[in-house]
Amino acid sequence: MESARKHKYVLYGFIGIPLIFALLVPLTTLYPVLRGETPSENELPPFAPPGMEPKQALVAGLVDTTILMFMFLPSFIPSVIASYTFVGEKVNRQLEPLLATPLTDLELLLGKVLGAFLPSLFVTWGSFLLFVLVVDLLTFPLFGHLLLPNPLSTVVLLVYCPLVSLLSISWSVLISSRVSDVRASMQLGGVAILPVLAFYFLCMGGILPLGKLALAGFGVLLASAASGLFLLGKRTFRREEILTRWK
Amino acid sequence: MKDYSIETFGLTKIFNGLPAVEDLTLKVRKGEVVGLLGPNGAGKTTTVRMLCCLLKPTSGKAFVVGHEVGKDSLEIRERIGLLPEVPGLYGELSALRNLEFHARLHGMPKEKARKRAEELLRIFGLWKRREDPVATFSKGMQQKIALARAMIHEPEVLFLDEPTSALDPEAARMVRDLILELRKEKRTILLCTHNLHEAEELCDGVAILNHRMLAFGPPRELERTFGKKEVEIQVEGMSRRMVEALRKIEGVRSLRKEGNRWLVEVENPEKTNPEIVEVLVKMGGRVKYVKPISGGLEEVYLKLVRSDEV
Repeated sequence: MESARKHKYVLYGFIGIPLIFALLVPLTTLYPVLRGETPSENELPPFAPPGMEPKQALVAGLVDTTILMFMFLPSFIPSVIASYTFVGEKVNRQLEPLLATPLTDLELLLGKVLGAFLPSLFVTWGSFLLFVLVVDLLTFPLFGHLLLPNPLSTVVLLVYCPLVSLLSISWSVLISSRVSDVRASMQLGGVAILPVLAFYFLCMGGILPLGKLALAGFGVLLASAASGLFLLGKRTFRREEILTRWK
Repeated sequence: MKDYSIETFGLTKIFNGLPAVEDLTLKVRKGEVVGLLGPNGAGKTTTVRMLCCLLKPTSGKAFVVGHEVGKDSLEIRERIGLLPEVPGLYGELSALRNLEFHARLHGMPKEKARKRAEELLRIFGLWKRREDPVATFSKGMQQKIALARAMIHEPEVLFLDEPTSALDPEAARMVRDLILELRKEKRTILLCTHNLHEAEELCDGVAILNHRMLAFGPPRELERTFGKKEVEIQVEGMSRRMVEALRKIEGVRSLRKEGNRWLVEVENPEKTNPEIVEVLVKMGGRVKYVKPISGGLEEVYLKLVRSDEV
């Protein structure tokens, strides 16, 4: 982790993208809507929740879909860190001295997983806190109360983001056994974002109503994929495998 | 078993049907420095990796510091230090940080890790550069850090894989001197090297491998057993009759001239040398000197490896 931090690409990922999510996204989506004219009910997009005044519904819908976007952070950030810690260490032959220590394979893997998992969560939560501040400041005049945090944000931040992070890291472990270039690993690591992207666009397009059923289903899918990939990754992260089969 | 730091019994490792190490039986006493010699791909690194519990043997058994490889891996890794062929240091981290990190992985408390790292950096003359990123160090200095890393937890056994390869002569000398110091401290060391002179200088025993053990023993003993036994003689007035007479002596295998000296290959120098001198003197030659010649470990190595490949 300490070593990965000294690479500027890691820092760009840590700082730049969370700031974009926290500041740029609400300012460019919510602010024009809040300043603009009230839309009619026919003009509301599919993700706008029912039972609210049109402008409130539009703003609440935009906020909810932006909350879903916060799942992109824990899928991207860990793959950046994991690429340096797994692939980078493999390429630089830094794994062998580690393997000769009295750590078990699982301890080594967990150490590396945590090294990517915890920072990705902290950055995501930190970015979300800033997002909450900006959104509440912008929307309080319209709603008369604080919009965030809401139940959706609680589920996304505390359940889905950790699962997405674990999914991304487990995928990176599998990739790193076959890839010998850090940037290729980062690019392939982006595949972990696909389930999140799919869910996001299905909700945005109104194909999947953003309700309890959809959230529960997505949660089960994420948990299965994350645990399955972790077990696969654990199987590939064994001393003999690393020394003989990791290319 | 307690007198030996390393014991192997028929140790074998097969990759995809091809034996990398075959039926290796080896014993290294506590405090000994043993060299593993062999051509590229002979199985030296594979042997070290098995003994460090990084690879599982396909068959056979091995014991390191009294613990069985494959069963007591954690206990073994607590007591060994490895300097791999590529040091694998974290270039962005400082020398001090590299050592502290590794010490902590061995369960050393933070303060003890720091003290031990300082002690080693001072011994290796690198304390002043402790905060510099290791990537800015020369190869020789990086190798010293890697050696310090292998020793940070005071292991009973050290495995050094090609410790002086790719180093300039000065850096290589520095590392050899360090190994000699460790030898004085009676640490058990298993050293993989291509450098035969290094093996002669540093090792109490040498094992010559080519997937299997070709020979094992102290370098001098190997030279006596497998080396060509030649004597160089310089004689005034050497004639063809003398040459023919020497060839007929029992125990003389061959005779050849190099410049103004004669080289005689014999089976048993102690038995044959007096006879050679007697024959030459009787035939009127003036013997200036009779000197035994050794081809050294290089000759033994080449002879064994070449005959094994045939």
